[in-house]
Amino acid sequence: MIQPTYLLAAKSSNGSAQMIRSTLIIALVFVAAFLVLFAVDLWRKRGKRDGYRLRSSVTAYLMLLPAVVLAFIFIMLPILYSLGYAFTNFNLMRPEKTMNDFVGLANFQRAFEEIRDRGTLYHAIINTLKFVVGVVPLQIGLALGLAIFVNRPKPGVKIFKVCFFAPVVISLSVTSYLWLSILSPSETGLLNSLIGIFGAEPHDWLRDPKTAMLWIVILSAWQGCGYQMLIFLSGLTNIRSDLYEAASLDGAGAWQKFLHITCPGLRSTFVFVLVTVFIGACRVMIQPMLMTGYQEHTVTLSYFMYYTGYRDYSVGYSSAVALLMTIIIGIITFVQRRVLKEK
Amino acid sequence: MEQTAKHMGATLPPLLHTKPPKRVIVGNIVYYVCGILLSILFLFPLVYMLATSTKSESVFAADAGTLRMFLPDFAHLGTMFENYKTVLTEYDIWKYALNSLVYAGIVIVLNIIVNGLAGYVMAKMNFPGKRLFSFLIIFLIVVPVETSIIPLYLIVKTMLGLKGSLSILGVIFPATISVFNIFLFMQFFEGIPKEFEEAARMDGANTMDIFFRIILPLSKPIVATVAVFCFIGVWNDYVWPAMILPVTEPGEWPLLPIQAALTTIQSIEMITTGEVMASLVVTSIPIFIIYVVAQKYIVQGFGSAGLKM
Repeated sequence: MIQPTYLLAAKSSNGSAQMIRSTLIIALVFVAAFLVLFAVDLWRKRGKRDGYRLRSSVTAYLMLLPAVVLAFIFIMLPILYSLGYAFTNFNLMRPEKTMNDFVGLANFQRAFEEIRDRGTLYHAIINTLKFVVGVVPLQIGLALGLAIFVNRPKPGVKIFKVCFFAPVVISLSVTSYLWLSILSPSETGLLNSLIGIFGAEPHDWLRDPKTAMLWIVILSAWQGCGYQMLIFLSGLTNIRSDLYEAASLDGAGAWQKFLHITCPGLRSTFVFVLVTVFIGACRVMIQPMLMTGYQEHTVTLSYFMYYTGYRDYSVGYSSAVALLMTIIIGIITFVQRRVLKEK
Repeated sequence: MEQTAKHMGATLPPLLHTKPPKRVIVGNIVYYVCGILLSILFLFPLVYMLATSTKSESVFAADAGTLRMFLPDFAHLGTMFENYKTVLTEYDIWKYALNSLVYAGIVIVLNIIVNGLAGYVMAKMNFPGKRLFSFLIIFLIVVPVETSIIPLYLIVKTMLGLKGSLSILGVIFPATISVFNIFLFMQFFEGIPKEFEEAARMDGANTMDIFFRIILPLSKPIVATVAVFCFIGVWNDYVWPAMILPVTEPGEWPLLPIQAALTTIQSIEMITTGEVMASLVVTSIPIFIIYVVAQKYIVQGFGSAGLKM
């Protein structure tokens, strides 16, 4: 995981100079855009009573400065560089030579060829799809079910709530290492010793292409669903209880009440949870990284991008895949919101 | 109308509960049995982690396949915490934990000041060019950007040249800026009445005084929420610190935070399962404490997360 790749990148003082130059150009564009808006705003309010005051404007800029500088360097620049690198063959191994060799759409062509030839990228996409298709319904279904389960005034439900939420407290890396031990291939591993009771042979769950992604889905849903349960719970408490009472009066059953009161009432919460879980699922990386390493049957898109960029040093190719992924996720998220929100 | 509905609602349950009480009792039993089974499903890995962390490798192997897997090693009460001792002192996990605490502390303070100031300016002040910043805030919140982690890495290492122990700044600075936190602060500050500021201004306070002496103290809930989420974020971050922080020589004070150190510990030769589990438990304890102590603010955070849409 931890390799002194930075030595390579650091050696290239040349690359540093290039980067600073391109950064200055980007910064100039921003300042220019800002100055235009600045001038327009001043022009609009000229001579008016509620015009700007010099002193308070200067104070405002001084207060805004740290955030603007940090956001520019650590948020805007990486996005813009990522966009730019996608069209170059920038490689960390030889940064001084090919820093900015424009190669047009060659990276995208390479990506499509790799998908067509069933290369690692193809597996990364398939595994990410498997994960998303598995974890989104499982995690949201569990969260919704648990939220409805604990959303009743009975003694002791608070204890249940704490139990369901407990896995959220441990981080993804702790979760990965914990389940690595549970799914250990030796016969002393928790799962193998449990199935051993029934006489089954120990199994290497994470190296078996059939079971590895399945277990990663299960442990991710187990770890995450308590969080969404709480979000659903806060949505449930916002539904007026007299609606349920009125429905009971009219003789509605539990299922009808769920369908006609709970579902519409939870709509906006549901959209929020769906979009966040979906985006999070598309980004899955730590679990396969720590549990199996870079393997064809578990590599995911984020892991692929990390690996090609950081370990194989092909920043250009990695950025092109990232750009494709941003576009696809952006479109799906947009569609999800549209379909679910405006009805 | 509403009153009558409520009134009827209040009198209804006894009416409904005139059903045979047997059914209610059976329903309750089913409910609690389901609840207990579900709780076991969610807790067993954690119980296993805690139980195993008290065991030596031989006890661990002997317990495999029996119910004792989920019980601590009561047979050797004297050496129950032996694994913790090893992990904390020999494997230096306390140093990594201290690193994480320091990073988190610095990030919390800077994050609140930087984003709080920006949020205050956006909520309360008027200046030419403001529209550009409002647009950028909304844009950066709404658009999902996939892993710009490699360019970020290049910026930190190549452009800013943060190497060696200076790499710490590469962990801290990117974590201090959060557009979403600016948005949260902005929303909260907009709700603070103008009178507070005006009164202070009459007394000759300048804008900085107003921000630190009046606005921030009035905004304790949002400050606490941001602090809690900052802490959880920094403490749980794994990939980024592991990427940019160098591995130090044995004997030197390490730079890695605790999550990244788990990988180092995991790769120690001859490490026992019990020791691995003990390191996982130690890593999780601070977050557990945060969740218990700051529950209120975490739930508030959920509420504000809804704003994001």
